[in-house]
Amino acid sequence: MSALLDWPVLARLQSLQLLARVVAEGALSGMHRAAHHGSSVEFAEHKEYAPGDDLKHIDWRAYGRIDKYYVKRFEEETELRGYLLVDVSGSMGYGRTEITKLQYTKILTAALCYLRLRQNDPTGLVLFGQELTRYVPPHAGGAHLAELCATLEGVSATGATALPDGLAYLSEVARRRSLIVVLSDLLPPSMRDGEVSANEQLVQYAEQVRARLCGLRAQKHDVIVLQVLDPDELELPFQGLTWFEDIEPTPQGPARLFVDPADVRAAYQAELGRYLTDMQQGLRQGDVEYHLVNTAHPPQETLLALLNGPLRRRTRR
Amino acid sequence: MHTLAPFYLALTALGVLPILIHLMGRRRARVRPLPTLLLLYASHKRVAQRTQVRHVLLLLLRVLLFIVAPLILAKPYLETESPLPQGIGQTRSAVIVLDDSLSMRYVPGHKGATRRGGSLFARAKLRAQQVMEALPSSSEVALVLGSRGNHTPVRELTSDRVRLFGVLNQLQPTLGADDLPGALARAMQLLHTVQKERRHVYVITDGTTHALSSLVRPAEDVGLSIIDVSEGDRAQNSSILEIYSEPAPSLGARAFRISAEVANFGETPLRELAVTLNIDGQPVSSGFVDVPAHGRSTKRFLHSFRSTAPPIAGTAAPPSSPAPPVSDERRSTAETDPGGGLHHVSVSIPHDGLLEDDERHLRVEVQRHLRVLILDGDPRGLRRDDEAYYIETALHPSERPLAENTPFLVQTAPLDEHIPELREFEAVILCNAKAEDIRRLKLDRALRSYVAGGGGLLLSMGGNVEVEQYNTTLLDLLPQPLSMVKTMGALGAERVAEDNKEGEAAPLGSGERLGRLDRRHVLLQPFLSSQASESLMEARFGRYVLLQPTPKNESESGVILSFESGAPALIERQIERGRVLLFTSSLDRDWNDLPIQPSFLPLLQQAIRYLSRAPIRDAEAPILIGQPREIHLQTADARVELALPSGQKRLYERLQGRRLLTYPDTFEAGYYRVFSAPDPGAWRPRLSEFFVVNVDPKEMDLTPADARLIKGIERSAPVLTGPADLGTSPRRRIDLWHWLGLFTLLFLVSEALLFRQR
Repeated sequence: MSALLDWPVLARLQSLQLLARVVAEGALSGMHRAAHHGSSVEFAEHKEYAPGDDLKHIDWRAYGRIDKYYVKRFEEETELRGYLLVDVSGSMGYGRTEITKLQYTKILTAALCYLRLRQNDPTGLVLFGQELTRYVPPHAGGAHLAELCATLEGVSATGATALPDGLAYLSEVARRRSLIVVLSDLLPPSMRDGEVSANEQLVQYAEQVRARLCGLRAQKHDVIVLQVLDPDELELPFQGLTWFEDIEPTPQGPARLFVDPADVRAAYQAELGRYLTDMQQGLRQGDVEYHLVNTAHPPQETLLALLNGPLRRRTRR
Repeated sequence: MHTLAPFYLALTALGVLPILIHLMGRRRARVRPLPTLLLLYASHKRVAQRTQVRHVLLLLLRVLLFIVAPLILAKPYLETESPLPQGIGQTRSAVIVLDDSLSMRYVPGHKGATRRGGSLFARAKLRAQQVMEALPSSSEVALVLGSRGNHTPVRELTSDRVRLFGVLNQLQPTLGADDLPGALARAMQLLHTVQKERRHVYVITDGTTHALSSLVRPAEDVGLSIIDVSEGDRAQNSSILEIYSEPAPSLGARAFRISAEVANFGETPLRELAVTLNIDGQPVSSGFVDVPAHGRSTKRFLHSFRSTAPPIAGTAAPPSSPAPPVSDERRSTAETDPGGGLHHVSVSIPHDGLLEDDERHLRVEVQRHLRVLILDGDPRGLRRDDEAYYIETALHPSERPLAENTPFLVQTAPLDEHIPELREFEAVILCNAKAEDIRRLKLDRALRSYVAGGGGLLLSMGGNVEVEQYNTTLLDLLPQPLSMVKTMGALGAERVAEDNKEGEAAPLGSGERLGRLDRRHVLLQPFLSSQASESLMEARFGRYVLLQPTPKNESESGVILSFESGAPALIERQIERGRVLLFTSSLDRDWNDLPIQPSFLPLLQQAIRYLSRAPIRDAEAPILIGQPREIHLQTADARVELALPSGQKRLYERLQGRRLLTYPDTFEAGYYRVFSAPDPGAWRPRLSEFFVVNVDPKEMDLTPADARLIKGIERSAPVLTGPADLGTSPRRRIDLWHWLGLFTLLFLVSEALLFRQR
């Protein structure tokens, strides 16, 4: 198992379903003594019996031990639907190593599906690029995992980003209160020619995305945003004069910029940091969970961090 | 610009290399997809301007580096026309005559109060150094200075350049006048032993007319080159050419008219030039004067010393010495007679390129009242028979009652019980007194105390003088003991009678004349010329008192006037702080006819001034820089100190028997103060010896000499057989590769700093 958990080796697995299971189990094993509650009817605590309590909930074993009546209390059993929105725009296809952002996102999504279906939570999938690519409605049961994995395997990164539209679509299909996990790089679409500067475009796009996500939260959904970024995007580690080209083409052709990365590295990192901070703070103000995912880290580590973080609370409800 | 290795210049084409590398790098740049291009755009926009400038600078620096490196290898240099004379490249024995006179202090281009750039002397030193460098190393060189005073810093021909440069570096211009003929003569002496065709003299000067006009072409076998360091700069110099004072009696006894002659040696007329009168170092008056180009104007000031000027600072002791005791008499005089005494007067104009001639100094004596007491030992009813009559008339010749401008306040008293207090007088004349009267009135003690305290006493003889009793009574005061009365001719009434018997011979002879004058003595300064001393020598003496001989080493006395026979006529003695003069004849017509000679008046007045230590009129010609000054020593003086205008001091010990101290180092312009002290004893100012020194007016005129004059003096060097090209002026090479190396270093450092800024 340990050999299989080695991330580069895992990445070569062709079966996403198997990969999802390995990653998910690896993450679960990493939780150690952390409480794992697979059942939806869970014992929560004891309460001293009071007139009016249901007698069938009296813990007779406890009475035998301490000669007092105690009533067992249980969490309410609910069926929590879940939607996983995966951004499949062209920018998600970036990756200098073997793993692109989309591949990484697919593994993470499949692992999450595995975990949810394992506890019998209905889980659906929305793949959205420039437009809706695929929608798999939520269902429970282990057999549904194969369909979800097949759907994920069959998609590739293409087209311009239209994440706000995808979020708008999701707000329509998710009528009941649900857990919504958005996996995207949250990067704006290609640079537009015109009077609007790059800075303004960034600000406008970030506000639009935040507004849609906060709108979902306002619909009583639990929203978790996983921003998936490549280390190249985070650090700009290139050397020498370079033509940088937008990965999402525009009708006028890809936008290009000739620059020595060493000249702009510091300014770029500051700009990116500002963008990420603004996004994170804006989402937190709207009670939306945010998590930055670096594709340099193995997905089971990322999943473990999610399980110990935002997903832990959401899944126990 | 020339190069030593021109083939390296081709490598400067490598300067295009950085541009090519840049262009190729741009073409071969990688294309990378980047999802965050919009963020990159935003960040690039923030730093684009800065990085673009830096990139351009980096490219420029790299291009320059590729150009400068081959340039350094090519060893470029500049070649300029040398200002040095022709033929200097041949081995010769040369004497460099460096003009260090006052005019070489001129700073060309001077504006306002600041002196910018170097003086002509700095240029001259540089040119001398260039001459030494241009001469072959085997050439021998000596160095002679062109100012008056026989200055020869390097007295023998030497090829030791280190020594020559060291000496040259230490040289400073003087304030003195030039003496280029003298310097040339010294140069010729130095070259005397050298082979004829190898002799050469380089005269480095400011090329002024006054410097070169007296210079003559040397002998045929010596080359002479004039190197003019003024380089054609037209000097704009103005100066105080002369200053003099004269009494202005219409404004009072202490009023003086001080006139300053201002000269403009420049091409531009001077409008409203400020001229300032300074008294004792303090400006007291200013005025303006217009001076035409190459012209002169006189500015006159009227100044009354009584009302404004304090007593001369000369009464103060040198700072290093304790203040001299001032007798009560002198103190009372100073209090009642402010403004009298000696004053340092100067006139100045604003500084120009030659600031040393912008001020000129003058020593002005303002007479103070001297109170004189005549103790008449033989009062007569008939005034013209009385000594006091002749003395009073000599000291107060005006018919008017006591006038303000009278220097002497005379009081006559007979030898009785009502003799005034001696302390009230600067001088006392005891004439024809009987010894018994002196003893009776205890006048001998009083006079001894008076003289010891600083008073002056004049003793004159007459019929009442008894030699033996005088020696007994006044032994402490007499310069020398009296010996006997000698009669040489007709006396008093007899002479009058003889005069009436025209044509008859005098039975007792015609008397004796004065034979010798100590002309160095300040008392006799009015009689320096033969015309002035004529009437003094005309006086005839029918009777006088001979003195006993005294060994010279025991005597504190000095003979000022002698008779034809050699017997002393006027002899002095210094007693502690006072002086005694003994006139061995009478001060009336009884024993001589001196009182009716014109010389009697100045002689007696000078004697009183001398006794009372009043400044004696300065009859000397003004002293110029470098001229020696003779300082008269008093009998008691053991040490003399001079306070120079700069504040420095010079201390001298008196040599045995010397009566004069010659001070030769008058190298500063201004006011010199002299102090003396006995051994042991306190320092006292010697007001009569204070003097001023001024710069030579001829150095003020900076008019350049005519080119024909210079050509007429110069003589080409004899042609020697050798490789040097004598037909052209030597050229000077200035290497540039040092500077290029420095630039390369700077470029490298700048490139590294710029590259690290990313």
